[in-house]
Amino acid sequence: MRLVRHPLGLVSGLLLAAIVLAVLLAPVLSPADPGAASLRQAFEGPAAGHPLGFDSAGRDILARILYGGQNTLGGAIIALAVGLALGVPSGLLAGYYGGWFDSAATWLVNLVMALPAMVVLLASRAILGSTVWVLMVVLGFLVAPSFFRLVRGIVAGVRGELYVDAARVAGLSDLRIVSRHVLIVVRAPIIIQVALVAGIAIGLQAGLEFLGIGSGSEPTWGAMLNEAFKNIQRAPLLMLWPGLALGLTSGALVLLAAALRDVLEDRGRSDPAPPAVPEEAPDEPDEPGAAGERAGLLSVRGLAVAYGAREVVRGVDLDVREGEIVGLVGESGSGKTQTAFSVLGILPEGGRVARGSITVAGREIVGLPERAHRELRGTVIAYVPQEPMSNLDPAFTVGSQLVEPLRAKLGLGRAEARRRALDLLRQVEIADPERVFRSYPHEISGGMAQRVLIAGAMACEPRLLIADEPTTALDVRVQAEILGLLRRLQRDSGLGVLLVTHNLGVVADLCDRVAVMSEGRIVESGPVEQVLHAPREPYTRRLLAAVLDGAPAREPLEAAPDHAPDQAPDQAPDHERLEAP
Amino acid sequence: MLAFVLRRVAAGVALIGVISLLSYTLLSIPHLDVGRQLLGQNAPQELVDAKNAALGLDRPVAVRYLDWLGAALRGDFGTSWFTSENVLQAIANRLPVTLSLMIGVTVITALLSFVLGVWAGVRRGVVDRFVQVFAVLGYALPGFLVTLVIVLVFAVELGWFPAIGYIGMGESLTGWLSTITLPILALSVGSVAGVAQQVRGSVIDVLRQDYIRTLRARGLPPWRIVLRHVLRNASAPALAVLGMQFVGLLGGAVLVEQIFGLPGLGSMTVGYTTRGDIPVIMALVMVTVVGVIVINLVTDLLIGWLNPKARLR
Amino acid sequence: MKKFAALAALLTSAVVLAGCSGGQAGPATGSAAPATLSLATMTLPMSLDSKDANGSALPFFQAVYDTLVKREPDGAFSPMLATEWAYDEARTTLTLTLRTGVKFDDGTPFDAKAVKANLERFAKGGGGQAGTLADLESVEVVDDSHVKLKLKQPNPALLYYLSDAAGLMANPAEFAKGEALKTAPSGTGPYDLDQGQTVIGTKWVFKRAPGYWGAKLPYDTITISYFDNETAIVNGIKTGQLNAALIQDADQQIAVEAHPKVKTVKQEFDVQGLLLFDRAGLVTPELKDPRVRQALNHAIDRQTMLSKIRQGRGTVTSQLFGPSAKAYQPELDNAYPFDQAKARALLKEAGLEGGFTLKLPRIPAIVSEALAASLQTDFGAVGVKLVWEDLDQGSAVQRIFRDRAYSGMVMNNGQSPIDWVVVKEMVLPGLFNMFGYTDDTVKSLAPRIQKSDDPADLKKLNAHLVEQAWFVPFYRMTYLHVSDGSVAITPQDGMAVPAIYNYAPAK
Repeated sequence: MRLVRHPLGLVSGLLLAAIVLAVLLAPVLSPADPGAASLRQAFEGPAAGHPLGFDSAGRDILARILYGGQNTLGGAIIALAVGLALGVPSGLLAGYYGGWFDSAATWLVNLVMALPAMVVLLASRAILGSTVWVLMVVLGFLVAPSFFRLVRGIVAGVRGELYVDAARVAGLSDLRIVSRHVLIVVRAPIIIQVALVAGIAIGLQAGLEFLGIGSGSEPTWGAMLNEAFKNIQRAPLLMLWPGLALGLTSGALVLLAAALRDVLEDRGRSDPAPPAVPEEAPDEPDEPGAAGERAGLLSVRGLAVAYGAREVVRGVDLDVREGEIVGLVGESGSGKTQTAFSVLGILPEGGRVARGSITVAGREIVGLPERAHRELRGTVIAYVPQEPMSNLDPAFTVGSQLVEPLRAKLGLGRAEARRRALDLLRQVEIADPERVFRSYPHEISGGMAQRVLIAGAMACEPRLLIADEPTTALDVRVQAEILGLLRRLQRDSGLGVLLVTHNLGVVADLCDRVAVMSEGRIVESGPVEQVLHAPREPYTRRLLAAVLDGAPAREPLEAAPDHAPDQAPDQAPDHERLEAP
Repeated sequence: MLAFVLRRVAAGVALIGVISLLSYTLLSIPHLDVGRQLLGQNAPQELVDAKNAALGLDRPVAVRYLDWLGAALRGDFGTSWFTSENVLQAIANRLPVTLSLMIGVTVITALLSFVLGVWAGVRRGVVDRFVQVFAVLGYALPGFLVTLVIVLVFAVELGWFPAIGYIGMGESLTGWLSTITLPILALSVGSVAGVAQQVRGSVIDVLRQDYIRTLRARGLPPWRIVLRHVLRNASAPALAVLGMQFVGLLGGAVLVEQIFGLPGLGSMTVGYTTRGDIPVIMALVMVTVVGVIVINLVTDLLIGWLNPKARLR
Repeated sequence: MKKFAALAALLTSAVVLAGCSGGQAGPATGSAAPATLSLATMTLPMSLDSKDANGSALPFFQAVYDTLVKREPDGAFSPMLATEWAYDEARTTLTLTLRTGVKFDDGTPFDAKAVKANLERFAKGGGGQAGTLADLESVEVVDDSHVKLKLKQPNPALLYYLSDAAGLMANPAEFAKGEALKTAPSGTGPYDLDQGQTVIGTKWVFKRAPGYWGAKLPYDTITISYFDNETAIVNGIKTGQLNAALIQDADQQIAVEAHPKVKTVKQEFDVQGLLLFDRAGLVTPELKDPRVRQALNHAIDRQTMLSKIRQGRGTVTSQLFGPSAKAYQPELDNAYPFDQAKARALLKEAGLEGGFTLKLPRIPAIVSEALAASLQTDFGAVGVKLVWEDLDQGSAVQRIFRDRAYSGMVMNNGQSPIDWVVVKEMVLPGLFNMFGYTDDTVKSLAPRIQKSDDPADLKKLNAHLVEQAWFVPFYRMTYLHVSDGSVAITPQDGMAVPAIYNYAPAK
């Protein structure tokens, strides 16, 4: 349980557990019957056997807190259960299928939302009696719409996501898609909402007591608070215990929800890289020439990237010259993406360059202020990501995403930027630039999106292009087109390219030189011909052998869902493995 | 889009019909002897029966409902049984109070919760803790306590604001501000706390998206990424919550309206419903339904605008 | 009318009687002629038509209408629209001499015909107080300034009624106009309703009527604002936004007293107690035995209840009649000392050693948790199992009065200074004796009281009721008239809400 390592989560979880336990053990822990009143002792402070003193009716406060907790928490659970049971499935279905179900469900939800709560409450009390349970069931109905709308909104948002489409194409049943892929997306907001609604349910009890339509004579924290409120002048301290119980519970709920959310969503973060190999002194790589003269465009020496105390890249030397394509290959988790991100200066949160030197166009960027480093991005170094769909902001048109860096970085005017963006689209061989310019990302294909991303990378005429698995997510025919495009662009503009890939075929096809990475360091580098045909290192040989043994070319669609956007950006895709040329 | 709106409007009309029937039926379930309440305990039973008959309460619910519906369709919502005021007039008098509250709180909530939520989500660390603590406090403190403290401090002790009452915006803008500020403040505490938490979550989710990294790799300044891309993408879920909150405020306003002695719809709902003043409640219900329909429609349209993929067909 | 606090409790959503009071508006200087008196109330008048006038809403009506007889703060009757009145020998005819020269706003003269029209309309108008004129057989116009009220039987409370809702005189010219008076009241009173500024249900504004026939009241404008809780009222008083109000809740009283500017006047009005309706034992057979009812009276610890629940603000009592009633006897206040051993013995005598179960309705606005729990404990200690059934305000009325589902209920009862009002409404079959129980003593005393209102008979009756334990009264509650310091409030005897004539700028 990672929750245990989350300090707030741990504290709030323990607190909640303690409260629940105490409340469950009320019969054992209570010093007195919660209903036993001795008016003579009303408002009196702590006495022997009554550690918290007496309330306005001379009842034992501790007993009422404990037994009241049973009603309060039990009631909140009922409200939540009803709300979740009604709201979440219907929200999922309405968001996922849309259409008539959505219309019908939305209509029903509007019905519930618009029904006056007071009227419903009074009617139900007239029929069912005035207990805290009735109140909470009604409340459950009333909060169900909030779950419904929350879930439906998010699900409608991801309905068209690539990975959902992909899962659908792969023949997964709707049920499986919804439960495996869609539910994950709505999980975090639901968890927060649950805590909030639990808090609301508990608080609303107090509110209804205030209006005189509360829980009758059963003790609840809300009723106690209300009773205290009525005697606030005479005995202000009466507010303390029920207030504390309510406050601690709802506070702990909110904190726990936030912690849970963080833990659920941060799975990637706490495991940003493969387990670090045993710490050794970084040995100097013996690539000929590497240690000596440094390339003018990109030169990396002794680079180490660490997350906390853990090094995931441990001494990398790498050079890319003008007009050269260098492949960086390695297995999943070998540290190649981390290396690329270091050069770009976009290491995920928690990651830092621990040692080494990186020069770009002769300029040292390790230790460079973020602001100066940012100046280089786009104009000197550019980035083409792996997964085209998730790398375009779904909320903006392709055009506006292309125009944005042109205006921000190059300071072009609106019309000029637009012209240039259309030019770029043409350059990446898009047939109908005007249409694509106006389209939203979800309206174009994956291959098209990758062209758009390449166009975006080329927008400010960079000198070094870092392409991270630029073709992995695409089908074979499109892969070839994209590779061709990259090659053409590189030739036309004399770009240096660092191509991060696990695909030796691509390397053989495109690269001039190649560096092989394993466990955070470069094990071998050199011209493609030499490395692929006469590898010197045993690791490289194993690598090649594995590929040639006929490992599957790629797992096409099944794997796609793993690119769900909730995945941490720094987590390497699972299906990344070496492919035969 | 237009077709969508039209369809929603049609669904809304059906909704109004069903809700009116449901509410009328539900209202007749508790045995609220209206005649007896009106005339008091010391009125003889014959008088009470006569009063009930005069109000038409001796007839079957279905008949009374149809009568009500017929009149309502002609725009006649009748007069209150308990105060003789014209129902439409009564609602028109009170609606601005509650709307002022709801809109005020929603604007404050939207602004503050976005600022806090984005701040916490982007900076994490200490800022995040601070926002969390604020959220917890806002959540954990009982609403009436917050309200009472606010009245006592800012109105009774410091005298900066009036403690009770409402001045219409049309009457005096400064008067309106002075009477509405504290109630809005009191209501905003809890609502900002809740929505900020939701915004924080959405922001963290968005920040983790691939396209944010790509935008950074393009060399765009962080503020621009946050303001343009993070904000817009994080807004949709937050808006859904905000929309719900807005509707919920009608109920949440009750307590604040009572403590501040504001003549709004919230306290009206409670008072008139407990008494069983059917003409008033039915009109209130109708206003609420229309409000809910409009808010939900607006929320959906806004979310669609923010998130083209969720655009509704 | 002023009488039944519980009625108001059921009508208004919060505490018991409606509060109302006033003070001067303007700055607290109080020296210049104050322009506005701003009062708070917790009572919603059903309409401003005089026939709908009821209980604690009376100030609304007093502003616009005059009554035939004026009731002074001490309860004495004095001339208003009637200048003289006299009963005949049999006390079945009351002759009124009317003030001359008084006109309604539209010029319609106030005369005997107007009185006849008003009284007849009131009696048949279906208002809550219509029953107070049930004994009125006819109204005879003698001449323009004299009327004779003929009664079916003597009614010792008639003059009181004529100083209250039944005595309000509206413009008869309006009677033909349907519902006009409900929102546009027209009377001869000191103020006119300012319809432009009034928001019904929230705030009523009354402007001084030009050419009022009587002595001018000190304020040019009176506003009455409605609140559904005392917290807002207390805050309004503290900030001077309200000038005067009545505070009933003990805790709120503490809150308001603490403020340095606030001035307060105490008044004991409502008596809180358990009314046992079921003396015939129809719902709870055990209650038929007077010893059982006496046991209930001995079982409760009134002094502790008063000090804890009302925080000592009041006086314990065992009788329903208040100190200003003729039937009142101070020694009866302590007729049932706290003695649970005696209670158990009485129950044993009645053959109820094993105890029994008593089911009572609980309306949270009247029966606080502390009261509910302590009664349960005290009754439980002598073997009576008290079961509370929680009722919502509105449905309580139906269950208690129409379904007659309970043997009794805890209420707050205004103590009328007019004994006959108490006798008629609490003792004789009807109203609060919904099971219609009576006994020989009551049967013999009541007619005599009706005819002569003799204090000796009344005292005898009261002693009998206490001895037979018809009720289980707890204590008379102290209410607090509060002002922001700018207003001197004179409490109205026998009424929680002061008449609007009882406010004056503080010296």
